[in-house]
Amino acid sequence: MQTDELIAHLTGELEPVRGAEVVRILAAGLALGILGSALLMAVTIGIRPDIIQAMGGGAFWLKFTYTLVIAILGLKLVERMGRPGTDASWPALLIAVPVVALMSMMAMQMMPADSATRHALLMGHSADVCSVLIAGLALPLFAGLFWSLRRLAPTRLTEAGAAAGLLAGSAAATIYAFHCTESTATFIAIWYTAGIALTTLMGAGLGRFLLRW
Amino acid sequence: MIPQEAEYRSWMLAALAGDAAAYRMLLQGLTRHLRGYYAKRLGAAAAEDAMQETLIAIHAKRATYDPARPFTAWVYGIARYKLVDEYRRTKRAAAVSLDDAGDLFGADEAEAASAKRDVEKLLARLPQAKRDLVRAVKLDGHSIAEAAARTGMSETSVKVTVHRALKSLGEELGDNHADR
Repeated sequence: MQTDELIAHLTGELEPVRGAEVVRILAAGLALGILGSALLMAVTIGIRPDIIQAMGGGAFWLKFTYTLVIAILGLKLVERMGRPGTDASWPALLIAVPVVALMSMMAMQMMPADSATRHALLMGHSADVCSVLIAGLALPLFAGLFWSLRRLAPTRLTEAGAAAGLLAGSAAATIYAFHCTESTATFIAIWYTAGIALTTLMGAGLGRFLLRW
Repeated sequence: MIPQEAEYRSWMLAALAGDAAAYRMLLQGLTRHLRGYYAKRLGAAAAEDAMQETLIAIHAKRATYDPARPFTAWVYGIARYKLVDEYRRTKRAAAVSLDDAGDLFGADEAEAASAKRDVEKLLARLPQAKRDLVRAVKLDGHSIAEAAARTGMSETSVKVTVHRALKSLGEELGDNHADR
C-alpha cells in the first residue's frame, strides 16, 4: 500500500480517544486479576479462621500496608511502562522506601534477640511455603496485567514485565495476608519480600516473550 | 527540547479529540522523519515497511500518549521499538541504545537533501530533453498531458520517452551495483 493511501485510511477511521483509556485498560486487568487471585486463595488455602480478631491487631495491618504500598508503586510503574517515551525511575526508586523501613524494623527485632529467638523470628512456621504461595496466588494477576500491558504500548519489554510481576506479586501478597498467620516484621521483611522478588523476576523473564505487540 | 515538539503535540491533541485534518498533518509530518530514520538503519527497501508499520502502531496505540509528557519522546519510543522488533526479526544485533528522540526528528532533512543530490546526479546523465521530461512528470508532478502540451510531443511519446529514460537509469544503477 502507498503511504498516502495508508494515511488516508488511518485518518478516515480516526475516532476521538477518551482521556482515561489507559486507566480503564489497567483497571480491567487488575480487577480481574485481584478477583481471580482472591477466589484462588478462597478455594485452595482459605482465609484464616480468626481473620476478624487478626484485623484488630497491628501485625495484619503491617503486612497489609507493606504490600499495598509496594502494589501502589507497582501500579504507577506498570502505567508508565505501558506508555512509550515515559520515564519510570521515580516510582522504581520509591520502592526502596517501604523495603528499607521494614528492614529497619527487622533489624530492631533481630539485634537484641538471642540466636534461638532469631531463628524463630526468621523462619516463623511457614517460611518454606510463604514465598511460593504468594507467587502461585499471583498467577491470575499476572494474566490480567499482561493482558492490560499488551493492549497498551510497552517498549521496554523486560522492564515492563518486571513491573507487572512486581504489581502481581505485591497485590497477591496483600491478598495472602488474609490467610497468613505470621506476625513479625522480620518474617514479612524476608519472605513476603522474597515472594514479590520472585514474581518480579518471573515477569522480567516472560516480558520479552509475552508482551510483544 | 525537540524543535517540532510544540507543533506536533498540538496536532496530536487535536487528533485525539477527533480532528482528522490535524491528524493527517501529523502523520504526513511523521512520515518524513520515520522514513529518514529507518532508511539510515535498515536500508531504503525495509524502511518503507517499517515506516508504515510504525504509522499503524501510532494509530493503534494513540490512547497511550499522555498529554502531560513530550509527544516527540512518545513517537520516538514507538519508532525505536519497531526498529528493535525489525532487528529481532532479521536476527541482526541491536545497537540502538545510544540514540534519542533527536535522532528521529533531526534525521529527515539531511536524508532528504542527500536523496535529492543523488537524484540530481542521476538525472545529469540523461540528455537535456529527456531530463526535462522526467523532471516534469516524475519530480514536479505534472501530468503526461501537460508535459506533452508543453513540449509539443504526443502523449504516447512522452510516456515512452520517460519510461525509456528511467529504464536506462535503472540499468546504469544495476551496473554500478554489479561493480561493487
